[in-house]
Amino acid sequence: MQIDFHYYATYCAAYLAGYSHEECLAICYSAQFVDCCTRTLLSTINGPDSAATTQLKLEMMDARTDILGLQDITRIWASFHFLPRDLHADIKKGAHVYKEKYRMICGPNGDLLVKTVNLAKEKSLQAVGLAMHVLADTWAHQYFAGTPSQVINNTDYWFYELIPDEENPTDPETGSKNFTERRVTFRHNPVEKDDPEKGLYVGTIYQLQESSVMGLGHGRAGHLPDYSFMRYKYLPAWNDYKEIIKDNPSDYYKAFCQMVYAMKYLRGEYETFETERYDTKAVSPYEEEIRAILEKRQLDSSAEWKALGERLSGEEIPDFDEKRYCGEYADAKGEDKVSTFLGNFFSAALAQKGMVTDQIFKSGNLLAGYSVEYRKSKLLGIRDFILFVEQELKKRRSEAQS
Amino acid sequence: MSRFQRIQNIVIGVGMLLAAGCLIVEPEDGCVYILLLLAASLLIRGVSQLIYYFTMARCMVGGKLILFIGAAFLDIGLFTLSLANESGFFVTLYLIGFHAFAGAVNILRSLEAMRYKSVHWKSNMLQGIVSILMLVASLFFAKDETMLVYLYSIGLIYSACVRIASAFKRSAVVFIQ
Repeated sequence: MQIDFHYYATYCAAYLAGYSHEECLAICYSAQFVDCCTRTLLSTINGPDSAATTQLKLEMMDARTDILGLQDITRIWASFHFLPRDLHADIKKGAHVYKEKYRMICGPNGDLLVKTVNLAKEKSLQAVGLAMHVLADTWAHQYFAGTPSQVINNTDYWFYELIPDEENPTDPETGSKNFTERRVTFRHNPVEKDDPEKGLYVGTIYQLQESSVMGLGHGRAGHLPDYSFMRYKYLPAWNDYKEIIKDNPSDYYKAFCQMVYAMKYLRGEYETFETERYDTKAVSPYEEEIRAILEKRQLDSSAEWKALGERLSGEEIPDFDEKRYCGEYADAKGEDKVSTFLGNFFSAALAQKGMVTDQIFKSGNLLAGYSVEYRKSKLLGIRDFILFVEQELKKRRSEAQS
Repeated sequence: MSRFQRIQNIVIGVGMLLAAGCLIVEPEDGCVYILLLLAASLLIRGVSQLIYYFTMARCMVGGKLILFIGAAFLDIGLFTLSLANESGFFVTLYLIGFHAFAGAVNILRSLEAMRYKSVHWKSNMLQGIVSILMLVASLFFAKDETMLVYLYSIGLIYSACVRIASAFKRSAVVFIQ
């Protein structure tokens, strides 16, 4: 997903869930900031290195592909963009190393999604926004894994876009939609732009190495999972030559309705967060308009989502500016940094990364690295996480005292 | 990183340092030894591709390709072994390819970091310049086998240091309930 959904659509969902305009802005800024918080950006404001929630293309090229480098990449991409659906998936094929990778495949409504949403409960608005980013991406990025792996993420020439038939939109007998199939051509020059009219898209190049960063996530399928209008069918590397049909407009609509439900839960309207629940009732007055935005063949739907959001709240939604809160964080001294806008975001990011890594580790899977409990060993832990845990404990103690 | 992986990194790093030391002390016939190392790495690559096929890639769409590639690497490794007389040429090609790629990536990273006003641009630029200098030196000394051995050894020492340093790096994520 891109800025149109993570920023503007998240604003709309937050507003429908009952948040005020200002709260919605904080939530949608945080949701979009997940796609901006790189180590390069963190280094400019002296932020904690481990709070990185994404990586730039050249950071990826420069990334080490030894065991530590791969674990670092997996922690970032599996925690924030490709949340694994089932860490204990029972498969009857492949060696243990294959099973570990298979279990990292992203998908909606998994146990980790419940833990992600619960982690944001009674936390900052930044934590809510971050959780909404993760939730939305489980729909867009399903069937791909947030770890470099050819055996899971590779695609081949069997890749077709399904374009709605404009002359005969529906089958008169069955009422189902008619589509024209068009073979997708992937180019490998990252400077080139996607061209939906001609069916030319940019994707990563095939590499022989299993752990090449080119095989991370949906790189081999280009940005197709990120476009709301896109429908396509392809042969994923892991599915025994069985075709998968991906219907983004439908998935994105479900993602939107699930975000509304999840944020209502976070605001206290529901006792528990359950999977497979969507707040279609709250969204129904706008369903036609939202589906029209999602179906429109364009690479960026920000203008349409922004118009809808402004009509909902009657307030102006400022354009996203990734540097909006950087100055505040950079200028804050010592412990004051923690209570800044970005300080709260970094806390939420470290908590999410810690939780996902811990769950992956406890499932017997070492792809995201080791997780140690604070009380058992401080010496092995990455310094950023130690500091985060100590701040959390301090906060909990002061809350308990008050 | 597990304790075994840490020890493994240290052992491999020390081994690389020793190999580099031997090459620097005895540079005569160094190119032949380097070619043997390259041939060994191709053979290892071939075997590892075959292991990759049997453990993972056989479950993947189009995975048979890996089987053929593994066999091809084994074959090229054996072929390289038979080229000991042309060792200087192959070592030069290897050095040029390696340093050209590393230099280009480091300089691009540096320019990107500069655009983001990051403080890390200088170290990336320095590494990029060093790689380009090594590339130029490889071209300049293409016919001097002793210098090629020294250049290869410098790269080996750098890789060994990085590997040993990574063994001491903190790597676990700390988590509280």
